[in-house]
Amino acid sequence: MNRQLAHLSDEALVVLAARSEESALAELYDRYGRAAYGLAYRVLRDPVLAEDAVQEAFLTLWRTAARFVPERSKASTWILTLVHRRAVDAVRREQRRRTDSLERAAEPSVEGADEDAWLRLQRERVQAALRMLPDAQREALELAYYGGLSQSELAERLGQPLGTIKSRMFGGLSRLRELLGEPGTEMSWTSTT
Amino acid sequence: MDLHDLTAAYALDALDADEAEAYEQHLSQCEDCREQLAELNDTAASLAFATVAPAPPPRLRAAILEAAAAERSNVVPFLRRRWVVRGLAVASAAAACVVVGLAVALSRPSHQHFVSLGLTRGANGKATLTITGLDTAPQGKTYEAWVIPKGRAPRPSGLFPGGKPAVVHLHGVPENGAVIAVTVEQAGGVRAPTTAPIVTTRA
Repeated sequence: MNRQLAHLSDEALVVLAARSEESALAELYDRYGRAAYGLAYRVLRDPVLAEDAVQEAFLTLWRTAARFVPERSKASTWILTLVHRRAVDAVRREQRRRTDSLERAAEPSVEGADEDAWLRLQRERVQAALRMLPDAQREALELAYYGGLSQSELAERLGQPLGTIKSRMFGGLSRLRELLGEPGTEMSWTSTT
Repeated sequence: MDLHDLTAAYALDALDADEAEAYEQHLSQCEDCREQLAELNDTAASLAFATVAPAPPPRLRAAILEAAAAERSNVVPFLRRRWVVRGLAVASAAAACVVVGLAVALSRPSHQHFVSLGLTRGANGKATLTITGLDTAPQGKTYEAWVIPKGRAPRPSGLFPGGKPAVVHLHGVPENGAVIAVTVEQAGGVRAPTTAPIVTTRA
């Protein structure tokens, strides 16, 4: 396995990327490209638009890496935030909002290669935490984050006052944070299949 | 509109453009919101990992690296020129050497090597992991080995500092077919991996 920068932290890689070190960008892509593409694909439901969003996000990282402040944010959060913003901008621009984000039937299967062991575990862990949220909170998070709906669109779609939507999003994210932070949740990493 | 209330919506990118702008202005004056946003951003980003999607096509990686290299080639020659000019302006040959040395250090990382992971099993089923090619873990960090049985949670299985070929006697007996992974973690180790594995193999 040839991973020259494999021992470096994500944040150290961003510092190298700020010095125009292409191998650092490649390593960051190898770590987060798949999650980034999965996110863009989920929001955009279109492989070509998803590729565009991921490429733009990684190039934004490349151009602005010098401005990254590791004390303020994890590098992985920054990367995925860039991807999400691109994807949401695109979905709103294209006016092709997919509000069927609660439907899971059409989701493609994923092969379980060695390299994906960590991603698979992350997925199971976050999915398990999501399942533990009250339905209304989970619905608000999924429609906003995966569906790309704004809070006012959410209020309209769900027929609820804006204040209710705000508190569902805040309550949902806060509870999710607790669930993901609890050491006990690693028990729910157990595969359900 | 109470701007404090918009933190979760902002973390989820669920604000309209003008709402987002108003919130960002508020953010520059509100330490509490900045702290809360940092937390909620991490949580929102974790939702990215819950998605199920096909793997990205290999051309995407190549396209990104190619575009990045093309952008760099517009910038770097300019920098090099400036260094040369500065090098000429400095009379001392030694000073010029320092400048050249810096350029080399920036463009060639010193960790050009392969990471390899070997697993051997004793008669009692206990396993020993041999890792070569990893530099010493950054300060305050450690390498942590994990045994990940199929469909189960990763089990913390040993810490090592890197820097020289490391031999780790894994805790417990790895199940057949389990994935063995190594991650970089906070010194002292953690109970569940928090970073992507840098190398994996199978038991």
